[in-house]
Amino acid sequence: MKKYLAAFMALAMAATALTGCGGGETATEETSGDVYKVAYIARAQSDSFAAWLANEMKAAADQYPDIELTVFDGEADDAKENAAIENAIANGFDAVIVQPNNGEAQRPYVEEVVAAGLVAITTNSRISGIEGASSVDADPYKQAQVNAELALTQVPENAKVVVLKGPSGNFHADERLKAWKAEFFDKRPDVTIVGEDFANWNKDEAMALMEDWTIAHGDIDAVISMNDNMAAGALEVVKGNDMYDDMLVYGVDGTAEACLLIEEGRMTATCLQSAIDLAALNMETVHKLLTGEETQIDTDIAEVLITKDNATEYVEMYRERGQITD
Amino acid sequence: MKNSKASHLMTKYSIFFVLLFMIIISTVMNNNFLSSRNITNIAVQLSVSTILAYGEMVLIVSGLLDLSSGAVLALAGVLSVSLYKSTGSMAVAFAVAIGVAVIFNMINAFFVANCNMPAFIVTLATQMAARGLALLYTSGQNILQIGNYVKVGQGKIGPMPIPVIFMIVATIVIWYIMNHTKLGRSFYAIGGNEEASVASGINVVKSKYMAFLINGILVGIAGVLFMARVNAGLPNGAVGYEMEGLTAAIVGGTSFSGGVGTTSGTLVGSFIIGCLNNIMNLQGVDSYIQQVVKGIIIVVAVLYDIRFKNKKAPKVILKKEDEEEKKEEAPAAKA
Repeated sequence: MKKYLAAFMALAMAATALTGCGGGETATEETSGDVYKVAYIARAQSDSFAAWLANEMKAAADQYPDIELTVFDGEADDAKENAAIENAIANGFDAVIVQPNNGEAQRPYVEEVVAAGLVAITTNSRISGIEGASSVDADPYKQAQVNAELALTQVPENAKVVVLKGPSGNFHADERLKAWKAEFFDKRPDVTIVGEDFANWNKDEAMALMEDWTIAHGDIDAVISMNDNMAAGALEVVKGNDMYDDMLVYGVDGTAEACLLIEEGRMTATCLQSAIDLAALNMETVHKLLTGEETQIDTDIAEVLITKDNATEYVEMYRERGQITD
Repeated sequence: MKNSKASHLMTKYSIFFVLLFMIIISTVMNNNFLSSRNITNIAVQLSVSTILAYGEMVLIVSGLLDLSSGAVLALAGVLSVSLYKSTGSMAVAFAVAIGVAVIFNMINAFFVANCNMPAFIVTLATQMAARGLALLYTSGQNILQIGNYVKVGQGKIGPMPIPVIFMIVATIVIWYIMNHTKLGRSFYAIGGNEEASVASGINVVKSKYMAFLINGILVGIAGVLFMARVNAGLPNGAVGYEMEGLTAAIVGGTSFSGGVGTTSGTLVGSFIIGCLNNIMNLQGVDSYIQQVVKGIIIVVAVLYDIRFKNKKAPKVILKKEDEEEKKEEAPAAKA
């Protein structure tokens, strides 16, 4: 049996490796002499923000008649992502935009892109300090910081709070947490963290944690979440329970669900990481670099804090995109 | 005589004693643990993974397994949510979820039973395909505003949360199938010794299809419960749930070599893992340490179970197996 199991494992690994070599999807089919071929290597099509960004990249590329964008999926795996970058270099693309799975793992491959004389851009999140490469990003530290600054004035004295963390080692998760520590917890020693754990961006994992925490600690004054999915999970648990009516809940991302929750007054605030803006800025940047208008660009999209005051505006945005219906 | 009876009980229920021991320790550690609210909480948290674990148990007993259940759950769930949003009918929602999960399991069964491919490979392939389809269908985005669908996952009938009712019904149905039907005995037979089963006239191909059919129905139901509980259609949801199901079944005494496993053991296995997660969260144990502790305790629990069965009462085991063999022979002879 053991022998068979080992054989199955080997086959399984071979099968996984084979599927990893698959090609991407092309946004525009026809190629002519004056069209720039741009490869976008997405971190993972299975991560909802990365998927949204990939879709917006295609839409943004359609605005440029001289850009032909092909999207590749890194499948949340460094080896696959690196292979996709190498393939793009070999396949005659003019520019390669990389959304890293893990910045340091992709760094040497992005350096290869530069060495091959192609336009290289790292985005969401940027790999900084690569000579000759450009970057377009949203700053995860600032995204959490705008929330933390609001929380400084809102969270009551001696509050009991819980912290929902993203995957360990993820750049955005780490930076957002770092901002909360520096901009909020260090300035508010009166606040006690009664629960802190990884829910890995997931709503269901956040729900299980919050269920256990509400039993262990009773009243909780605030939920500090590194993304909106987990914040929504925490809110799901206390839905309809009067005891948690005043509970403050902070997230990041500005998802459709969070905008609705903020509009309803159940969630406190989030910071929009707009895939639309990020995609538009990426295409603008790659176009400038390809046409030789500029040679190196490092730029960020603006952080937009969403609270009850402006939530309706963003609910409208999602309604137009069909993600929210009436 | 008395002694052997006691040791027979200890052997048969050794994994139950592991759970009992854990409950006592947890109660001493945290006085919230045994509160009715926390027990309900644990039961709700475990409903989905326990239902999946029953599917895995049935398959493992039959010498098969399913690595696709988490992904198929997600696909069945998002399609079900989406159709519920356009029709408003919960019956349609369940029918779609169960239908999709059954179709995938029939595909698994075809390749495993008719083409003699290993279940490990086939279900690994359907895992990828199902997850891909779920993401494709939703463009990777969560489906929101699912309306009254949520009641199945968050509602209660009397004091009993609806997911727990589904778990109890599944427990009874699976227990009945495994212990009191010819079909159940055929699962034990084909998993225990496939060639002997063929020789004794069991339709092995049909039994494998039936095992996957049962798994499909369970995965479909779990898909509805999962999406209703999280109040959204999550194409990325339930990643790795097949491992939770497998772990619960194995901790509960199901043998990977096939032919051995019980419904009650699987339920207990699931609760051992659930209680462990729960008490560590109640105590605020650091999550890195949680993973290490979980790994150690799972090994210790299974080791205790195996050693108890093998060493303390070898004679009783033999006797029990003899009885089981007789039981299996009876329907085989009839067929």
